[in-house]
Amino acid sequence: MEKLSYQDVNHHVIERCRQGENRAQYELYKLYSKAMFNVSMRIVNDYAEAEDVLQEAFISAFKNLHTYKGEASFGNWLKRIVVNAAINSIRKKKVELIEIDERIMEDVAEEVCDNDTEWRVEKVRRAVQMLPDGYRVVLTLYLFEGFDHAEIGEVLSVSESTSKSQYSRARKKLLEIMREPQFVA
Amino acid sequence: MKDKLKDFICEHKDEFDVYEPRQELWQEICQEMPPIDEKQKAKVISINFGKRASFKADYVFMRVAVAVLLLIGCGFILFYMKEKAVVRATNTIAATQPATIKSIAPELVEVETYYTSQISEKKKQLSDYDLKVLGLDESMQIDYELARLDSTYQQLKKELYTTPNTDKVVSAMIQNLQIRIEVLNRQLEVLQKIDKLENVIDSEVKENETANV
Repeated sequence: MEKLSYQDVNHHVIERCRQGENRAQYELYKLYSKAMFNVSMRIVNDYAEAEDVLQEAFISAFKNLHTYKGEASFGNWLKRIVVNAAINSIRKKKVELIEIDERIMEDVAEEVCDNDTEWRVEKVRRAVQMLPDGYRVVLTLYLFEGFDHAEIGEVLSVSESTSKSQYSRARKKLLEIMREPQFVA
Repeated sequence: MKDKLKDFICEHKDEFDVYEPRQELWQEICQEMPPIDEKQKAKVISINFGKRASFKADYVFMRVAVAVLLLIGCGFILFYMKEKAVVRATNTIAATQPATIKSIAPELVEVETYYTSQISEKKKQLSDYDLKVLGLDESMQIDYELARLDSTYQQLKKELYTTPNTDKVVSAMIQNLQIRIEVLNRQLEVLQKIDKLENVIDSEVKENETANV
């Protein structure tokens, strides 16, 4: 997603960070904190927890900056750290992310009633927030963070197909929530 | 597979980022950081002090401290050099190379100062007379003689550094000084005699006058 020139700009700041320059670290933080906080927020769905995740992720990122070789964009590298920290965080308090929900492997009716759903950012956002943790994480990683199912499987230590089925269920659930008459965006 | 939801989210991705962490979070991150940067701590003193402000303050403090230290150092060196110069200036009056003279003939320094003071005293006495007894061309000769003696003295002094037989040179130098004093003493005696003679003549004249009366 990130443009090459953007990465080049960061390259300088990252180099200074590696030398332990506090100012450069702050610059990186300013650049990425908001986006990363929202990544964290979408996964853990709790403000204080999302902050803890962000803090942990940035500290770990600065500590391991030497392992960043520039093969991916810095944003994506950092996002990986944030996602991992966020998943660890909800794993700590919740039992399982992927509920073995195989009992009703109902066919997800594709594009059911998609047309009568009003698409608005705020509405979608709040609907995502109302999803159960297991659904929300997969859906978020897939739709927002640009992970493919293989990557999601890797991050959550499940198979690619599990991720796929979990996503389709999550998606269905989301549309259901949005269709509910009492759901006011 | 067409996914309307995915398309919609892709289009409005930035709009979904509605949350922002608290402003204080960065400070909290900084506070947790010091163990990471311990390696750098040795290199750059306390850069991990939280806010940028304190980092800057530390930096400025270090600069000021270094500047003050440099100033004090320069001041010290200047003071020391001046002090040394003054000491050297006072030393040159007694002897041009005091350290070496002392090492070659330690007794000479004392002797020299003694005689030079004697000589200058005699010279002063002489000049008192000279003012009174004008028209004595002998004093010119004496001055010349003293100057000659002084130049030989300086030559001897130079020799002192090169010659292996220091005792001879030192005794020659002392002799030189004694001769000078002797010369001055003679001159003084002569002047005193002249003075006496004048007094005698004066009293005789007076006696004659009274006798005549």
